[in-house]
Amino acid sequence: MKKLLNELSTECCPAYSLESDVGIDAQVPENLKRSLSFNLPNVAESDLLRHFTNLSRKNYALSTTFYPLGSCTMKYNPLINERIAKFDNFTKLHPYQNLETIQGVLEIMYGLEKDLCEISGMDCFSLQQAAGAHGEFASLLIIAKYFKSIKQKRTKIIVPDSAHGTNSASAVFAGFEIVPLKSESNGSILPEKLKEILTPEIAAIMLTVPNTLGTFEKNIPEISRIVHENGSLLYYDGANLNAVIGVVRPGDMGFDIMHINLHKTFSTPHGGGGPGSGPVGVKVFLEPFLPVPRIERKGTEFILNYEKPESIGRLKAFLGNFSVILKAYVYIKSLGAKGLKNVSEQAVLNANYMLARFRDKINVPAGNRCMHEFVLAPKALYKNSVRTLDIAKRLLDCGYYAPTVYFPLIVEEAIMIEPTETESKETLDAFVDTLIKIIVDETLLDPQKLKDAPVNTNVGRLNEVEAARNPVLRWK
Amino acid sequence: MNYTSQNQKDKKEMLDTIGIRDVDELFDVIPKDLLKVRELNVAGGKTEQELLSYFSDIASKNKVLTSFRGAGVYDHFVPSLVGEIIGRSEFWTAYTPYQAEASQGTLQMIFEYQSLICALTGLDTSNASLYDAATAVAEAALLALRVSKKNKILISSGLHPEYMQVVKTYLKNSVAELVFLDICCDGTVEKESLDSNLDKNTAAVIIQSPNYFGIVEDMQTLSIISKKENSLFVAVINPLSLGVFKTPGEYNADIAVGEGQVLGSFMNMGGSTFGFMVVKKALEWKMPGRIVGQTIDKHGNRGFVLTLQSREQHVRREKATSNICTNASLNALAGCVFLSGWGDCGFKKLAEINISKARYAFNKIKSLEGFKPKFGKDKVFFNEFVIETQKDVNRINDVLLENKILGPLDLSTHCSTLTALGLPETQENFKNCLLFCVTEQRTKCEIDELARILYKI
Repeated sequence: MKKLLNELSTECCPAYSLESDVGIDAQVPENLKRSLSFNLPNVAESDLLRHFTNLSRKNYALSTTFYPLGSCTMKYNPLINERIAKFDNFTKLHPYQNLETIQGVLEIMYGLEKDLCEISGMDCFSLQQAAGAHGEFASLLIIAKYFKSIKQKRTKIIVPDSAHGTNSASAVFAGFEIVPLKSESNGSILPEKLKEILTPEIAAIMLTVPNTLGTFEKNIPEISRIVHENGSLLYYDGANLNAVIGVVRPGDMGFDIMHINLHKTFSTPHGGGGPGSGPVGVKVFLEPFLPVPRIERKGTEFILNYEKPESIGRLKAFLGNFSVILKAYVYIKSLGAKGLKNVSEQAVLNANYMLARFRDKINVPAGNRCMHEFVLAPKALYKNSVRTLDIAKRLLDCGYYAPTVYFPLIVEEAIMIEPTETESKETLDAFVDTLIKIIVDETLLDPQKLKDAPVNTNVGRLNEVEAARNPVLRWK
Repeated sequence: MNYTSQNQKDKKEMLDTIGIRDVDELFDVIPKDLLKVRELNVAGGKTEQELLSYFSDIASKNKVLTSFRGAGVYDHFVPSLVGEIIGRSEFWTAYTPYQAEASQGTLQMIFEYQSLICALTGLDTSNASLYDAATAVAEAALLALRVSKKNKILISSGLHPEYMQVVKTYLKNSVAELVFLDICCDGTVEKESLDSNLDKNTAAVIIQSPNYFGIVEDMQTLSIISKKENSLFVAVINPLSLGVFKTPGEYNADIAVGEGQVLGSFMNMGGSTFGFMVVKKALEWKMPGRIVGQTIDKHGNRGFVLTLQSREQHVRREKATSNICTNASLNALAGCVFLSGWGDCGFKKLAEINISKARYAFNKIKSLEGFKPKFGKDKVFFNEFVIETQKDVNRINDVLLENKILGPLDLSTHCSTLTALGLPETQENFKNCLLFCVTEQRTKCEIDELARILYKI
């Protein structure tokens, strides 16, 4: 069994050491001094290298396998992004350096803001937010502040039941109440149903377009009209923007405010759960409320403007996740307008190709066409008490990361697949063949194999119930 | 560049299978008048070689300086091993570890990270990381409000001003009342101010140590006072300082948060870094963010999973303890690798070197004519100290910059920015004050050179 760091600890020389060239003068008063023992591991550098390298090998990652995780846009993370982000002239900068010594940084941030405006049809962007949910939260604070500024009391946000969980959590976090909206079986919104719950208290509706079933919201012009007639705002959750770059723009569809996940659409790596970046874009009437500081251009010089009296304030220390912002900008400069449109076309082509191969075998609740992702509803095919969880674990045995499962909540036993533009036809074919074989054949002929899965991973199926019942959250 | 991998033949076959003739037909579902006709005006299409030269040019407009500036972001040594491990694509190209059996690398790493943060701070339960220290302080305030059902938060004016701003933003639409505690003339939080503002409605007392001015607070005493009304004591700490100074666990803090940049991340303009949060056991079910737990597989082998998930947004939606999803996992991995390699003595020595170098610089600078310590010569500080000068502050930094040195932070300009945002007036009294920062990265030679230039001005 693989050891933990504390179990590797010996009396050896630890990996790192430093010396002082001014001697040690570090006496501090007893009442301020640490007396607690540390119990930090004592491990040689060679052993640490092995420990962490071997740990890395226990991960399925985009660099080792197809990662068809729906709504997560696991596209290739170009190596040139990483290389440029490692330049000393980026990594070794202090955020409080004089502006004339960080003009390159500001130029990149300003440039990305401008490109995101063009791509989305919004008027202004803020890059300060550190993740998608952080962008949602900022946006909802902006919405609240806007209504306050025009002296309207609007306390509720409409969130469709097909939305990401973060939408509701962010809205509550920002002080709103949630009004749920039941969507149709393909995840779309009926304007008539929306109308019924559009009261004067509604501040905004949060929509994901394409929605989490991979369907484009056909009624969006009508939805936009009735929402705005009600004096409410339209919010675009950009999690699925990868489907429509260069094709349609949220700004043109009538959206007033949106967030983008740079770590999805714009190829920055997920890092096993961050860091990310969640820029917020707004139409010009919401600009005064964006977080400070704002990056502005004065002649040939870039400056930071803090004089924004109506701003919601600051969401994060310093200027945001600059290293992530930089990688996204490199990506945009590598592709340009044509390349970006090609991304969406390939992503949608890949998803539709997979869907076409699945559609005669497995139920697809959203119909025969999709945008960049789609959801399978395989429940009717499940025999012998097999569940989607078993299918997911069996896929791991076949060398694939599993798709998103049990989401969206409106589809029972959902399997949500997003191939992205990255994958080749060969990869897609092999995956489709495997999944059909598992769902159609193995559930019937060899259900035990599915129940026993995974067997090819470093550990067998893990007991999550036990983990939550008797939490062990650190070394003993 | 083109990062897709289909050739024309594949494309044709794919279109045939779908039953359409052209890629454009894929977008037929979109209402016609929404489909954009004009091509986006986004420059690009560069090759890898062109990108390197394009971004080298932009990068050359930035200057790497010898830093004597801190204020939340610090130039510390990053061991080679850290770069090697966070550079493993199996870590950086993985997603949040939803499929536990295929993500044991990330999950065990987070478990080890949580363990190391607990060992360092003396508290019970750490989460998997937050965005940064500023948002971690804000999340701590929200956690305290949630648990206590009280609505007043006392915050030291020695808290980093940008953290204050973020707390203000996060609590904007809540009913919570924020009260800022004064700083006395010795640079520490005024105990009388804490005592007089504390009441039964106080959910939490938030104190940073070392505070914004570098001074180590008497956390033990402040914690004892805070507990008189059963308020939660929230410590905002620099994790490196815990190599020498008393831990949150020892002074009975309920929550400790802070900035993880000092643990193995470069300064990177202040992002990305990571924030950490560690709490007493009683609070673990109320904590925001991912948490990894140990469990067993069906053969009894040890393994790791995301746990206590019923706190989280993807399960509880609007009833979640937080909306956080993506956090700062890769920076936390850097923190984990960083903390693994020192051993107890090495880590303590690292903190001691930081103290020693800062003291060496302090002693040099205070002996110069026209420079004197703002808070007396005996206050205990970690990396940073405040010096009041009779010389022209702007000229000091201009001359240092000419010598490729990032000089101390001018607290007076910084504070006026804050005042513009309606932050506490106590920070206004810093005319002609400079916040110097010295880490283990600064050599004796560089410090002597700094002092020589200051002397000449």
